Amino acid sequence: MTAASLLAADPLLAGKVDLAVVLIVALKAVIVLAFLLVATMLMIWFERKVHADMTNRIGPNQAGPFGILQSVADGVKVFFKEDLLPDRADRFVFRLAPFLSVVPAFLTFAVVPIGGNFSDADGGVIELFGHRTLLQLADPPIGVLLVLAMSSIAVYGVMLAGWSSGSKYPLLGSVRASAQMVSYEAALGLSTVTVVLVAGTLTTSGIVAAQHTWNWNLWATGIVPFVVFLIAATAELNRPPFDLVEAEQELVGGFHTEYSGVRFAMYYLAEFMNTVTMSAIIVTLFLGGPNGPVLVGPEWLWGIVWFFAKLMLLLFTFAWFRATLPRFRYDQLMDLGWKALIPLALGWLLLMIAIRVGSDEGWNPILVMVVGVAALAAGYALLVLAGRTARRNRELAGAHL
Amino acid sequence: MAQYLPVVTLLALAVLFAALSFVASRLLAPRNPTAAKSAPYECGIVPSREPPERFPVRFYLVAMIFIVFDIEIIFLYPYAVISGELGAFGLVEMIVFVVAVFASFVFLIANGALDWGPSRRLRRVDPRVSAERTTATTVRRVGLDGREEAA
Amino acid sequence: MTLLATVNSDVPFNVAQNVGFGVIAVLMVTGALRVVTTNNVVHAALWLVLVLAGAAAQFILLAAEFVAITQVLVYIGAIVVLFLFGVMLTRAPIRGEAGLTRSNWFGGALVGVLLLGLLSFTLLDTFGGDRLPADTRLTLRPAAVSQAEGTEPTAGSNVGAVSDSIFSRYLIPFEAVSVLLTAALIGAIVLARKE
Repeated sequence: MTAASLLAADPLLAGKVDLAVVLIVALKAVIVLAFLLVATMLMIWFERKVHADMTNRIGPNQAGPFGILQSVADGVKVFFKEDLLPDRADRFVFRLAPFLSVVPAFLTFAVVPIGGNFSDADGGVIELFGHRTLLQLADPPIGVLLVLAMSSIAVYGVMLAGWSSGSKYPLLGSVRASAQMVSYEAALGLSTVTVVLVAGTLTTSGIVAAQHTWNWNLWATGIVPFVVFLIAATAELNRPPFDLVEAEQELVGGFHTEYSGVRFAMYYLAEFMNTVTMSAIIVTLFLGGPNGPVLVGPEWLWGIVWFFAKLMLLLFTFAWFRATLPRFRYDQLMDLGWKALIPLALGWLLLMIAIRVGSDEGWNPILVMVVGVAALAAGYALLVLAGRTARRNRELAGAHL
Repeated sequence: MAQYLPVVTLLALAVLFAALSFVASRLLAPRNPTAAKSAPYECGIVPSREPPERFPVRFYLVAMIFIVFDIEIIFLYPYAVISGELGAFGLVEMIVFVVAVFASFVFLIANGALDWGPSRRLRRVDPRVSAERTTATTVRRVGLDGREEAA
Repeated sequence: MTLLATVNSDVPFNVAQNVGFGVIAVLMVTGALRVVTTNNVVHAALWLVLVLAGAAAQFILLAAEFVAITQVLVYIGAIVVLFLFGVMLTRAPIRGEAGLTRSNWFGGALVGVLLLGLLSFTLLDTFGGDRLPADTRLTLRPAAVSQAEGTEPTAGSNVGAVSDSIFSRYLIPFEAVSVLLTAALIGAIVLARKE
């Protein structure tokens, strides 16, 4: 067990829980809530601006300087819009579904460390009002799994919205979307295991602490899990090029077609908030979180600066994807998830385990690599063979299923 | 578990935020539903058909296969945490565990359980050969008269 | 940690933990009753989610967070999703099923009560007034306490302990799981192959 995992718990809550501790927790929670709302508003504006620039348009430019207040204006407006409840809707579930989408979007951010100095043995602990704590809302021992659990709950928001609308396009959209989210969740979970393997702990603070001095998981895990995670995250967020959920040519607005007014705004908010949160999770898992060199000025500031710099980079990448990549077809989407990403992540994980165990046991590294790659190639060959068999059978039979 | 206290706090705040938004909208937004507004969306026409009641069984299959993978992934995490202590023994354990599931996954793919594509791929036919329907495609190619000379 | 889950302290009764248990238990029982009384299948599945989430919360109160998160990921995130898919893919009238018969409710209730009695008896008979031993790895002590005592601090989590037991004491069941998963996938193939 590494030193990082021994510091697993937030020292703030390890001792006696008194009033000051409760107040610090409440303050942190309010800050996270406010931060997420502001960041989401800015992300919506940022994405529209980037997308506009990339497609040679101007984008929002009326509300505030550079149109930066456009999302605020939209947000205020939406409160004054009529909120329709469709006739054939299941009233209870229709009202419940937005909660199930927006609440997990908030909760995921609780485990993201946004600052702190992880280079010493303290592992990112800072002093706040005389109490030692981490610059993250919560640091539960199963941190990374909480992220996966939240994304599995988010499926309900989408699924129930479509079912409860009592209308055909939302139902089609939600069945598509939930199958997509469920499929890519497996790839998401598998690529995260590699990170846990390298860090030796499930806590996010431990994972960040294991990445200090440029030992980022991006290369410590060999890039492949990062690529798998990025693709799976894009699909999990239903963002382009995986936005089949709301393919407007086929499904109108997808699962939220029947939603209007502030309920629709909740889905919109959840979508972009999930983008911000997922980017923060990628920064934490693969890009070293707040780790980075301290240049000039106060030490505590640089962790936050590096975290936000990396976050911006990822948010730009997501906007870039949207402006550049054409939408997938549904069979391509499912093939990519099940027949490429999942086997790739699983195979890479086994290879990483073999390499690590091999170096612990003093095996010949070249031999381990050769045997590992050969085994992966054999697995790949089997998959290709299986795919061919399926295609041949299908074409012979003329139909499948 | 005090470590989960902040998460519960944020949960309460998030629920409160969403609930207050709905209350605010209820107070501020106009309310005059009409039959046309609250009918199911159908691009402006009167809906004539019920929403679909049956979907391909493949969606169900995906959920079922996902359960298997979910359980497998959950078992990978405890291993990942203590992999350093287990050494070669753990590696063998993991390989046996993963290979058993992978083998059946390959078998599953070979049986076409995860195929979503069209049951027959369109074969590219030379447009100059025939404008009629072929055995490979039911798409009738039209408007070839002008192209014949061009090609 | 001193707030709850002081299983090995001298205080025999932890107020906060027991209040938490009571509140969650009431929610779970309500949810469970609604599962069997509602006439809408999707509502029943949602009430089931409430029950399962309550069970996860109880596990967290017992400091078994890995089990709790597994409960959420597997039961809520996969199995009830499968139920919902099944319901949606067949036929789920939004207004609920009108012509449901409840003529067998007495038999069902009887079986339920008998099962409850059997499970309670087994649990009480096996564990009764057992206490967790004070020096088990499962007990969670804050790092400060263990430093003061000069003992090795626990990892703040029992994930390590769970892993240890999976790969030593419960190794055979663990490998049996892979066989079970294989069987499940073959079941899926049977579904896929519609002759």
